[in-house]
Amino acid sequence: MASQMLAGKGFDQVINMSGGIKAWDDPLAFGSEEQGLDLLTGNESVEEALIIAYSLEAGLQDFYLTMIDKVAVDDVKSLFRKLSDIEVLHQNRILEEYIQITGKKIDRDTFESGRVEKAVEGGLTTDEYIRLFKPDWNTSSDIIALAMSIEAQALDLYTRVANRSTDERSRVALKKIAEEERAHLEQLAKLMDSL
Amino acid sequence: MRWKQFFTPVQSMNSEEAKEFMSGKTQDEFTLLDVRQPGEYEKNHIPGSKLIPISELDKRLDEIDPSKPVLTY
Repeated sequence: MASQMLAGKGFDQVINMSGGIKAWDDPLAFGSEEQGLDLLTGNESVEEALIIAYSLEAGLQDFYLTMIDKVAVDDVKSLFRKLSDIEVLHQNRILEEYIQITGKKIDRDTFESGRVEKAVEGGLTTDEYIRLFKPDWNTSSDIIALAMSIEAQALDLYTRVANRSTDERSRVALKKIAEEERAHLEQLAKLMDSL
Repeated sequence: MRWKQFFTPVQSMNSEEAKEFMSGKTQDEFTLLDVRQPGEYEKNHIPGSKLIPISELDKRLDEIDPSKPVLTY
């Protein structure tokens, strides 16, 4: 077993996850190790990496906003508004991070002008997510599940890019964004439980 | 000689415990390791995992920091 082998090779703490992936009841990520790397390659400077991350969050926020008018049920409308607000907070965090790291006073419009179009968090387009998860647009739990899957994919993408990042500051910033995605997932799980 | 290697016990955690373990840490404080085959990883994996199939593990140990906790599945 892998854990036994690592323990025998001098690793300080080795934890075997009992039940493996089958026991994992949170959303899973999918795709190869290269999934989404056309957007974020790992060769970006920290400035570039943060602008791309911001674009991905903004793309998802746009999607949630357009959905408000497309759904009929009031609860679901307010859910999309809530999801959109969460993305705005995350965009703000990334913008603050950018200002703090670079020391550049940049306004939101300039920052947004560098946006990458068409993709949302995790590197897929919303159409691709919808095709994969086929949510029922009148059911809040389906929509939260979709949102959680997108966050899971984003957490995975940011971690993979950070691990191959050639720039130390980019690596640190991307790991931090990945952590925030993990916190996002927990937040959405609570929202799901509150239904 | 690293005596420690004889005494490192393997812990076991269920998914709830593992989740709690990770949520209290930054991404740089642990390694989540998927030791299954690439085809299984591609189908689905726990977000944030690093893939090293068990058949390659002995040759790729230098990719994992031995001083950080490693969670495997």
